[in-house]
Amino acid sequence: MSLWTMVLKMSEGLGRTCAIFFLTLLFSVPLGMIVAFARMSKNKVISGITRFFISILRGTPLMLQLLAVTYGPYYITKSLDFISISVARNKLIPVVVAFAINYAAYFAEIYRGGIESMPVGQYEAAEVLGYTKTQTFVKIILPQVIKRILPSITNEVITLVKDTSMAFTVSYQEMFTIGKQIANSQTSFMPFVVAGVFYFVFNAIVDFGMGKAEKALDYYQ
Amino acid sequence: MKKALSLILALILVLSLAACGNKDDSSAAGLEETPTFIMGIDPEYPPFSYLGDDGSYTGFDVEICKAACEKLGWSFEVFGVNWDDKLVQLDAGECDCIWSGMTILESMKEAGYVLSEPYYDNTQVLLVKSDSGFASSADLSGKDVAVQLGTSGEALLSEDGDLADLAATFNSIVTCDSFLKCFTELDGGAVDAVFVDLPVAAAYAAENEGFSIINEQLGAEQYGIAFRSGDTELCAAIEGAVAQLVSDGTYAEIAEKYPDIVNNLLLLN
Repeated sequence: MSLWTMVLKMSEGLGRTCAIFFLTLLFSVPLGMIVAFARMSKNKVISGITRFFISILRGTPLMLQLLAVTYGPYYITKSLDFISISVARNKLIPVVVAFAINYAAYFAEIYRGGIESMPVGQYEAAEVLGYTKTQTFVKIILPQVIKRILPSITNEVITLVKDTSMAFTVSYQEMFTIGKQIANSQTSFMPFVVAGVFYFVFNAIVDFGMGKAEKALDYYQ
Repeated sequence: MKKALSLILALILVLSLAACGNKDDSSAAGLEETPTFIMGIDPEYPPFSYLGDDGSYTGFDVEICKAACEKLGWSFEVFGVNWDDKLVQLDAGECDCIWSGMTILESMKEAGYVLSEPYYDNTQVLLVKSDSGFASSADLSGKDVAVQLGTSGEALLSEDGDLADLAATFNSIVTCDSFLKCFTELDGGAVDAVFVDLPVAAAYAAENEGFSIINEQLGAEQYGIAFRSGDTELCAAIEGAVAQLVSDGTYAEIAEKYPDIVNNLLLLN
């Protein structure tokens, strides 16, 4: 197999890798915001429960969560002998669910850190000027928070690119899985080099984009 | 609080240092006395190699290798490899052989690995759910079939494999990282069949209800043991020890414990 066919074959899987990446971001970024608010809720029960779930999601390996989301419902319903939920044929669904929930937990904590870092004086000043609570948050707090947390978000997004390879554990045929298949059939190490280059280029693009965004938001300098 | 914490930290430090010391001693002593033979296995490949009920690795291949090492007076260790990285791990010296129901492939010979004489005749079969009504490979046209990554079955179904024509009739081929995962996919309804070595399918169908085998003797092949290139002497030593086990009856004794595979063992039949 020539290097070119190898690259072509792996590019097919790259589409599936991108699907995990974009769908995870699409769901986890807003979900993280909701979780962050629940975590900061004045209601002790809500914030306590949220805190517990975040600690589970951050305290167990993503690989385990992938397995739990993919095969868990089947095994649980089977052992209950009540209804039967079969394992999904389209593995993209459980993979994205697991990734989105996991990343939402991390994003929530980043959002919370950003929101809580805002000085109380700003809220007081906004109140004096007659801003409502929503106005204060949307017009004053949020723009500053986004600026402040962007570097941490970039970190997570870059990790996400690399974590997509974990979808292999639930037999989702993404780029790294195809690389492994080629490595096996050809007894060659080359596919891993190709995979490394793919991930690096992907992340270089992410890094470039996020750098641009940071610069665009840096309007006070 | 601070005092307690620093005490705990100090204790961990001392213990970890002590652990290092122990390790160094034992390995240095071990090297000088008896050579250690590290057997590379797929830990999820019953009945050839798997984690037994007592928590240690067992299976037909593991028992034979253990007995062979006893004959040679070597100490014996088992190392669970990542099946799809097995040859890389063998080359890296993490184990001394791959001996775990491994199919001898031409590409391994071409790559220079030393291979033992074949010891097992194998065919590939399709494992399906009994209530699915599939009776032949033709029934599976347009269906999803799972196969373990890095196995000969995967090679046979690949684009330039011997069974590429059969593979083309399937809707998709799902590669899993272990056979147990393939079986989970089948059980859970995510695929319609698993393409697998006959003994593994037979062992699984015997232990779990509701599965049946479509035996069309697809892809005849043979199992052997792989050693690093240049390890001809090691291969000869192991083969010699196994020959002794065959002549003194130990081999047959172990084989009797695995009724699913006994008929296809080349050294007995």
